[in-house]
Amino acid sequence: MVKFPAKRMDVRAAAEDMRRRTLSRIARPLDRLIYLASLRDYNTGFYYHEGLAARFSEEAVCEALSDCHREVFRQLLFSPLEDLVAQLEAYVDSTNAMPADFIAAWQGLEPYRVSVPAETDSVSAGFFFSNLKVALAILQNRLRAPRLPKPTAWRQPSLGR
Amino acid sequence: MITLLFFSLIGAGLLLLLALVAGKRSAGVEGTARALVDARHALRTLQGELLPPGLVERIFAKQDFNFVTSATPQDVQALFLRERKKVAICWVRQVHAGVLKLMDFHLGQARFYAKLSLATEMKLALNFAALLFACRLVQFALYLGGPYAVPGMVRRTVNNAARLCETSEQALTFLEPFRVDGLSNGSTSDSGSS
Repeated sequence: MVKFPAKRMDVRAAAEDMRRRTLSRIARPLDRLIYLASLRDYNTGFYYHEGLAARFSEEAVCEALSDCHREVFRQLLFSPLEDLVAQLEAYVDSTNAMPADFIAAWQGLEPYRVSVPAETDSVSAGFFFSNLKVALAILQNRLRAPRLPKPTAWRQPSLGR
Repeated sequence: MITLLFFSLIGAGLLLLLALVAGKRSAGVEGTARALVDARHALRTLQGELLPPGLVERIFAKQDFNFVTSATPQDVQALFLRERKKVAICWVRQVHAGVLKLMDFHLGQARFYAKLSLATEMKLALNFAALLFACRLVQFALYLGGPYAVPGMVRRTVNNAARLCETSEQALTFLEPFRVDGLSNGSTSDSGSS
């Protein structure tokens, strides 16, 4: 992932800068993960950030962002499913998309697959994707639920199917 | 005539044996290096990715199950159980594969380096066999009963695998350059700054 080895001190400083100035302002880990993944060039796997590049070398920035990405991914990986559902719901609300469209797109295209850091092991990646799949199903179910007359009545039809 | 044929056969057999041994020796250097790299990789994967308590606890977390059963209809519950079972089986298969690689390394190479006693080797072989069997048993139980079928067995398997990894790590310490005698006398800081 790293072009040339960067000085560890620079990497640490750049990562700290990123955490303090940017990531701390993004409330949810899921949003942080998506943001960090968006800083990565999909053709090369290198991370770019103009603000950081003005103060640190390109290699240090790339390595620092990669470290932050891994850190946020692990944080999300170890979150309970309930938290992930809440984060996903908040993320859906923060976009301009209709929740139903958003869920359909995420279920069909699975864009979250590009959000994991490179070199993530297959079990961790699989676990994360699996949790998101379930979280999307839960949100989809919540969207359908209010149409039914009683909160408890919706259980009946699905039991019979 | 028969005697000549007999000794010719013995001679040919010995030559063949010699050729086999020589062949094994010449391919050995590359093979050994490959086995060492594989073993190091397997150890790193097991210790860094598959066995840390954080991931294992999350995969088998009852908290998630309770949340799903309390807040979703049956089709979502079924999806959750299916997904979690898939991840759990994938996890135990990876652990099995990692342990198998480590065992191959120990059987083939480590004894030449680690200078293990026969008793230690036997104990190690038994531990490896037991762990591999336990992995298969857990896999089978997960397949039949789902992700929450055998939490105790999962915990024991993780603990045993972690212990074996420690043993393997000790056997593999000769691979780490910073542990080599003579380089450790204050030279690490020099190499770090250059």
